Amino acid sequence: MKNAAGAKPIYIQIAEWIETEIIDGTLSADEKVYSQYQLAEQFNINPATAGKGLTLLLDKEIIYKRRGLGMFVASDGHEKLIAKRKEETLHGLIKDLLTEAKLLGVDDNQLVAMIEMERKKSGEGTS
Amino acid sequence: MTAIEFNNVTKSYQSGAHSVLNHMNFSIQENVLTGVIGRNGVGKSTLMKLIAGHIKVSSGEVRVFSENPFNSLKVSANTILVDDTMSFSDKLTLQQILKEADRFYANWDARLAKRLFDFFSFHPFAHHQHLSKGKKNTFNAIIGLAAHCPLTIFDEPTTGMDTVVRKDFYRALLKDYIAHPRTILLSSHHLEEIEDLLEDILLVRDGTIPFHGPITDLQDMYVKLVGKEEKVRAHVVERSSFGSQVNGSFIEVLVKNTFTMDEQARLNEEGITIVPVPANDAYVALTSGSKGGIDDVFNSATTD
Repeated sequence: MKNAAGAKPIYIQIAEWIETEIIDGTLSADEKVYSQYQLAEQFNINPATAGKGLTLLLDKEIIYKRRGLGMFVASDGHEKLIAKRKEETLHGLIKDLLTEAKLLGVDDNQLVAMIEMERKKSGEGTS
Repeated sequence: MTAIEFNNVTKSYQSGAHSVLNHMNFSIQENVLTGVIGRNGVGKSTLMKLIAGHIKVSSGEVRVFSENPFNSLKVSANTILVDDTMSFSDKLTLQQILKEADRFYANWDARLAKRLFDFFSFHPFAHHQHLSKGKKNTFNAIIGLAAHCPLTIFDEPTTGMDTVVRKDFYRALLKDYIAHPRTILLSSHHLEEIEDLLEDILLVRDGTIPFHGPITDLQDMYVKLVGKEEKVRAHVVERSSFGSQVNGSFIEVLVKNTFTMDEQARLNEEGITIVPVPANDAYVALTSGSKGGIDDVFNSATTD
């Protein structure tokens, strides 16, 4: 999971990894999140760095702290993350898509048609 | 609590000679795992020996557990310095050395020592002076780990170890540190191997400390700009660049991370990507003597 090419700071990678665990349902609402020591062992990193990743999620109120018990997934953590990914990731992808379309001279109608076609293809593929 | 304190420390090996450490000031908190990082010959080992009380300062003051470490029983009893000059009696077998270490170190973890000893396939009746360089350092590292000293110092512990042993050693160090938190100093030339293990970095350059703090702060100080050469060049003239690499029409430039949100957006629109860098790149930028990278040496040679 440590990618050298992107080289995102490791604590951000830790936060994103936990986010994905929450989005895909591995961790559900009010479930206990891994401690900084578990994360440190698992990813071979300093516990303070792992703690920084957890702090990121605490600040965004995706997880919450229960004194002496550890960190837990916020009841609306899943929704928050979905909204955030829509806002950040999806919008980013759409922006890239529009830039590329402009470069290639593909207009909006063509673009929508292409999206429709792609959806049909993948729809057939899964059914 | 503060474990180590340097107040205006200067060290030169001969009076009047150039000083290895120059008016150095820093303090290290208890139970932090700190990497002591720097290029060859900047004074890392001197700094570590001063902390362990093996040598004396020329001027200034070193405090370890609130005491001057030189000639301090308290510091000696609570500190271990592991490096490749550790010497043991040539009359003792490795097994006997471990037994003596058990007698000597108050917190000695005999079970851990035995398990590491077996894992790294040492022969109980072998003698330290007959071990290979890598094996010697592996044995020294076992002593360093199992001693569980409140202040544990590893000076280039992995010299001569093969890749597999190095990885195993660092993993053992991390696991033991999680189980028994203590103040640890670790030096290595391979920052990329240890950066994830560290909480703080103490960067040494020309006998001074240009950076001391969380490794994540060091990473955040620099970014790489990647994009079409002419576009990137237009931006970096205003900022000092710390090395660049050209790949076809694309260029990667390492710069200080001082971009505002607006600037970042503008860079993105121009097709320039801002990429975070590993601590190692930031370290190279902070410790390289002159601006530019190795490529520039060859570029100027052709234009002269």
